[in-house]
Amino acid sequence: MTATTPRPTFEQSGPRLPVVESIRVDRVHPRARIAGSVRATLAIILSLISLIPVFWIVLTAFKTPTDVTAIPPKLIFEPSLTGFVSLLSDMRLLSQAEQEERSQQPDLSWVDQIALQIGRAINGPSQYARQLGNSVIIAGTSTLLSVVLGLLSAYAFSRFNIPAKGDLLFFILSTRMLPPVVVTIPIFLMYRSIGLHDTHFGLIMLYTVFNLSFSVWLLKGFIDEIPREYEEAALVDGYTRLQTFFRIVIPQARTGIAATTVFCLIFAWNEYAFALMLTTQNARTAPPSIPSILGSGGIEWNTIAAGALLFLIPVVIVTFALRQHLLRGVTFGAVRK
Amino acid sequence: MATITLQQVEKKFGSAYAVQPMDLTIQDGEFVVLLGPSGCGKTTTLRMISGLEAVTSGKILLNGRDVTWLHPSERDIAFVFQFFALYPHLTARENVAFPLQAQSVPRDEVTKRVNEVLKLLQIEHLANSRPAALSGGDQQRIALARALVRRPSAFLMDEPLGALDAEFRETMRAEIKRLHLSINATTVYVTHDQVEAMAMSDRIVVMSAAVVQQVGTPAEVYYDPANLFVARFIGSPGMNLLKGRYSEGVVSFGGSKRLPVPAAWRAAVDQVTQGGGELIVGFRPEAASVRADGELEATVYASDLHGGFSMLHLDLGHENPIVHVRASRQEIYPIDALVRFSLDPNMVRFFDPRTEKALQPVAEVAL
Amino acid sequence: MTALTQAAPTQAKQRAQRRHMSDGALVRLFIFPTLIILILWNVFPLFYSLYLSFTRYSVIANRAPEWIGFSNYTAILSRPTFWQSFATTGVYALLSVGLQTVLGFSLAMLLRQKFKGSGFITTLTLIPMMLSPVVVGMFWKLIYNPSYGIFNFLLNPTNPRLATDMLANPVSAMLAVVIVDVWMWTPFVMLLCLSGLNAIPDYLYEAAAIDRASAWFQFRRITLPQVAPLLLIAVLFRTIEAIKAFDLMMGLTGGGPGKSTETVSIALYRLAFSGQFNTGQASALAYIVLIIIICISNVYIRYLNKLRGE
Repeated sequence: MTATTPRPTFEQSGPRLPVVESIRVDRVHPRARIAGSVRATLAIILSLISLIPVFWIVLTAFKTPTDVTAIPPKLIFEPSLTGFVSLLSDMRLLSQAEQEERSQQPDLSWVDQIALQIGRAINGPSQYARQLGNSVIIAGTSTLLSVVLGLLSAYAFSRFNIPAKGDLLFFILSTRMLPPVVVTIPIFLMYRSIGLHDTHFGLIMLYTVFNLSFSVWLLKGFIDEIPREYEEAALVDGYTRLQTFFRIVIPQARTGIAATTVFCLIFAWNEYAFALMLTTQNARTAPPSIPSILGSGGIEWNTIAAGALLFLIPVVIVTFALRQHLLRGVTFGAVRK
Repeated sequence: MATITLQQVEKKFGSAYAVQPMDLTIQDGEFVVLLGPSGCGKTTTLRMISGLEAVTSGKILLNGRDVTWLHPSERDIAFVFQFFALYPHLTARENVAFPLQAQSVPRDEVTKRVNEVLKLLQIEHLANSRPAALSGGDQQRIALARALVRRPSAFLMDEPLGALDAEFRETMRAEIKRLHLSINATTVYVTHDQVEAMAMSDRIVVMSAAVVQQVGTPAEVYYDPANLFVARFIGSPGMNLLKGRYSEGVVSFGGSKRLPVPAAWRAAVDQVTQGGGELIVGFRPEAASVRADGELEATVYASDLHGGFSMLHLDLGHENPIVHVRASRQEIYPIDALVRFSLDPNMVRFFDPRTEKALQPVAEVAL
Repeated sequence: MTALTQAAPTQAKQRAQRRHMSDGALVRLFIFPTLIILILWNVFPLFYSLYLSFTRYSVIANRAPEWIGFSNYTAILSRPTFWQSFATTGVYALLSVGLQTVLGFSLAMLLRQKFKGSGFITTLTLIPMMLSPVVVGMFWKLIYNPSYGIFNFLLNPTNPRLATDMLANPVSAMLAVVIVDVWMWTPFVMLLCLSGLNAIPDYLYEAAAIDRASAWFQFRRITLPQVAPLLLIAVLFRTIEAIKAFDLMMGLTGGGPGKSTETVSIALYRLAFSGQFNTGQASALAYIVLIIIICISNVYIRYLNKLRGE
C-alpha cells in the first residue's frame, strides 16, 4: 500500500530548511486574497503612472511639430517621422515656390518627402548623427577598457593576498564618490596643456577611470563567488595561473562580465557633465547635444523627443536584459541579491 | 490544556498529497510524536495544526472548537521551530517578551513572567545576549522559553533538536521531557529520530509517504508493527523480514531452512495463505538466540561489537536477505562459521506479502 | 650526495619559475595598470585642485597661479549666494531623498508579495533610473510646458493654462525638479527595500504569527528593523547623488528661475566655466563639497554600523 503512493517531492531529504512553499491560513483567507489583489492593482496603477513620461516621449517623437503643441495634448494623431528626419539631417527652409517645385519632382526619396511636409529640404547629415557616432565610439571603447582592466584587478584582489588590500580597495571605491565637478577643473587644465581637450582619447580615458572603480568592485563580487576549488584543481593538473585565469575564471565569470559591461556602457552612454565641460566640437557626445537641438522656429520638441528616444531605446532593452543584476549594479556590488 | 482532534485532514500541493486524509485525537496532557522519514508529511501535519499551513480539506478541533480556518494567533498554541526562529535583532530577553508585548501585556507583568520562565529553564545568564552569539542548545532553550511564557494550551514542536549537536540533544531531550512532566501540557512533537520518539512519547504516530502507518505506544509500535514499513523503520537495525513459503504449519526459506509457525498464529496464517503460499516472517534481533539446537542454520556474514552484546549478520543462503541477530559478547564468531539459532515464538510476527500488513493472531479470538 | 639532493629541487624550482610566472609578478601585472591610471586621473587632479584652491587663478587668463592662502575659502563662505546654493542643495536633497524613501518603501511593500506579472512590473518601474538625467530633464520641460504640456493638462484638464507654470516660479520649480528626481530614483530605493524585504526569512513571520503579533506589531518589530540597514544604504547613496546633482537641473531648469534651483554643483560649474572662469575659487568650492560629502557619508556609516549591532 505504501509502494504505490507517489512520494511527494516538495520536501527534500536531510534536515529541513524553513518551509519553502507555505500556504498559511491567513494567506488563503478571503480578506487576505482581497488585500492581495488590491495591492497588485495599486502596484500596477502606480507603475503605469510612472511610465507616462516615457510613453509621452515615444508619442512625441512620432508627432509633427503642430501635433506637439496641440491643446489639449493629442493622444491620437497620424504618426510621422519628421522628428527623426530633422534630427539626423541638416535642413534648410524652402520658400513657397520652391516647395511647389519640389512637390512636382517624381523622384523624391521618402526622406525628402518627409522633409517637404514641413517645408524643408535636406542638406546632409546633422551634427547629432555625428555626436551619436561619437557616443558609440567613446562609450564602447571606454567600456571595453574598464572591463578588461577591472577584470584583471578584480581577479588579483579576489584571489591573492595583497599588502594593504583593504585600503587599496577603499581607495578605488572612493574615486567614484568624487563629484565629477571636483576633478573636472584640474583635468580640464591637464587636458588643455597636453592637447587632450575635445579629443576622443581624452574622454575615453576619463570614462574608463570613472568606470574602473565600479568595474573592479562589481567583478570582484562575482569572482569571489566562484569557488577556488576549480582553479586549484587546474593548478594541480599543471596549468599556470594565467592559464587558469583565462580558461577557468573568465568563463565562469561570464554573467558578471556581461552585467559589468552593460553598467559601464550605460554610465558612459548617459554621462553629461564631463562631456559638457571637456568637449566642444570634435568629440562631443549626444547627451550635451540633445538640449541644444533647436529648430529654426523655437524648440522642436518632436526632434528632441526623437533624439531622446533613439538615445533611450538601447538603455530600455538593456534594463530588461539586466534585471537580475540591477541591484548589484546600481549599488556598486555592495548589495547582493 | 487541550485536546486536539484531526478529522479527515488532508493536504495537497498541486495534485500530490502531502498528507492523505487522516484522523487523530490527541488527549489532554498527552505527548504525541509524529515520526517518519523526511517528506512523509509529519511537519505538514504539525503546521496544519498550528495554522501555518492551510488544510486542503478536513477539520481541526482544539478542545472541541473548530479552528480549521483560524489564524495561528487565534489558536492559543505555541510552536517551537527546528531552526529556532528567534528574532535576530532582539536579545534573548526581548525574544521571550515578544509574544507578551504583542498582546500588550502590562510591562511589570511581562518582566515578571519572562523572569519566571528564564529561571525555570535556567537561562537567566543569557538574557541580554543576541541569538547569533549563542550556541544552538541555548538558542533552542530561548525558543522554548518564548513558547512557555505564553502559557499556551498546546505545544507544537518541529524537530526542535534536529539542528543541535549530538551532545546537546541528549540534554535537551531530557529537559523537554522533564518540562512536559512538570507542566503537563498537550504536546505534539515532530521528529525523524526514532530514538527520540521512543524516549519521549506517550504515543507515536508513524507516517510515511503522506499516510499514517500506525498510531500506538512506543511498545506497540516496536513489538507489533502494523505493516512492513513500520517493521523496517522502527528499531536499528529494523525487524528482520524473511520471505518464505508456508504450508502445513511450517514456513520454509529454501533448502532445509524451516520454521514451525507458533500455535497462536496458525489460524491466522492459514486464513491469509488459504492453507499454503507466500508469507513474510518478521523478528527482532533480540528475538533470536544462537544455540546449538536452533531450528535455523546460517553462516556468519559479519559480526560487530555493540558494547554489551555483539550483532551477528547471518546469511541464510537461498537468496534470503542477511538477518541480524543479537549474540553474546563473549563468544567469537569467525566469518563463514556455521551457527544455528532459534526464535522466541512470542516475538515472531507474520506479514501478508500482498497487503504488507501484519497478521493478527485470530487464533486467540477463536479459542 | 647532500649537494646533489639539494641541487635538484632548486633546479626544478627554477624551471618552474621559467614556465610559471610567479604569483607576485602576475598580481603586479594585473593591478598596476588600474592603480596607475587611477592615480593619474584621480589622485593627481585631486592634489592639483587642492593647490589651485589656495591660489588666484583663471584658466582663461595668461597668468600663473598666485598663492593667496585661504582667501578663496573665506570669499566663498562669506558670499550669500553660495550659502543660498548650499541651502538649495540641502532642501533639494531633503525633499527628494525623503519622498523617495517613503514612496520607494511603500512600493516595495506593495510588490513584496509576488503576483502574476510582478516581475515584469518591477522591471518596468526601473526604466526611469537607467535613463540619462539630462535627456530626462530636457524632456520634462515639455511635460511641464504650461500650454501644451501633459502635466498641467492632467492637473487641470479643462483649462491647463490656469494651473501654475511649474518652471516659472521659484517654489514650484524646485518642486518640479524634485518630482522628476523622485520619478527617476524612487525605483532605486524600491529595489533596495525589496531585496531587504525578500531577505527577511519567512520563519520570523511564522514565529510572530504564533506569538500572536498583529500585522502592525510585526511591521514595527520585525519588518522595519530588518529592512533598516538596506534602507539606510539607499538613503546614503541617494543623498550623495542629490548633493552631486547637476545633469537633471541643467536639462530642466538650468538652475533657474533666478537661482532657485541652482545647486552647489551648478554654482560650481558656473564659477569654473563661465564668466570670469574663476578657477581658484571654483577649486575651493569643489573641496568644500567634497568635505561635506565625506562628512555625511561618515555619519551615515557610523549609524549603519550601530544599527547592525554587535
